[in-house]
Amino acid sequence: MTFDEFRRLAETWGGDVERWPAATRNAARPFAATLEGGRILAEQARLDRLFAAAPEIEAGRAERSSFLVLQRLANVQQRRPQWHRFLFPRGLVPAASLACSVLVGVWLAGAIPYVHPPSDPLSVMSGVFDVYAIGFGSVQ
Amino acid sequence: MVEVSARQQHAFRILMQRHMPRALRVAQRIVRDPAEADDIGQEALLRVWSHAASFDPKVAKFTTWFYRIVLNLTFDRTRRRSFHPLDEAGEVPDTAPHAAESMIAAEEHRMLQRAMANLSDRQRGAIALFYVEGLSGQEAAEAMNLSAKAFESLLGRARAALRESVQKIQDTGSFA
Repeated sequence: MTFDEFRRLAETWGGDVERWPAATRNAARPFAATLEGGRILAEQARLDRLFAAAPEIEAGRAERSSFLVLQRLANVQQRRPQWHRFLFPRGLVPAASLACSVLVGVWLAGAIPYVHPPSDPLSVMSGVFDVYAIGFGSVQ
Repeated sequence: MVEVSARQQHAFRILMQRHMPRALRVAQRIVRDPAEADDIGQEALLRVWSHAASFDPKVAKFTTWFYRIVLNLTFDRTRRRSFHPLDEAGEVPDTAPHAAESMIAAEEHRMLQRAMANLSDRQRGAIALFYVEGLSGQEAAEAMNLSAKAFESLLGRARAALRESVQKIQDTGSFA
């Protein structure tokens, strides 16, 4: 590195050699240790401080912007497309009705006691004849 | 960021607390209009929310990715607009009594505002990332989607132009 290169790098990257590209730092340090090198860096460091002055952002301003972001997100979520509103939750009504019906059916099947029909021969015969009696113009 | 990708609003709020000031600072340094900087900051965070799934920590740091979003939005706006929202004449001087140090600081701030107005948007972006945000040359180059060499050249030109403007302002002794 020459002194001119050192000066050019200082005028680009500023007065802090540690912020220069890594490949140039080792070569720059001996120049920085000289009187002239130190003077160049000090002059650039003064400009660095001036350039580093950040626009003042109050906490309230950043918070207000964050709040507005959340508000915009909420608005986007409210403005769901028509198909989305059709499917959720109104579109689930028929499926939910069917599921409820099945549940009620299963519950009733378990809740009502099952009555076994009599299976002795006399009762069976009696049942058969009763049925025919009803079917063929009995007094009933 | 993983939680933000999973649509966790609580995580997103924390992320906004940390990064909204950065977005506002960089945008304001470039567009020089606080209201427009606020819009850009909000838009940038909305993009983070909607594109969170596309962020890959293996490819870039979050801050680099975020600065790139902010810069893209900012440069889009400055390309579109055909007017300068804030006059380059600088801010109205504060006449309230101040300590000498803060008067000097305020004077320097006005001088910088004036000098920055003479730079291009990209030069202001380079100055903001490297000096205000403290990014390394490599990080700033990545955020601006430039090669390290191109960023060095941009920063060098920006710094030379700023130095010249500051010198001119100091020589004429006027901020008006």
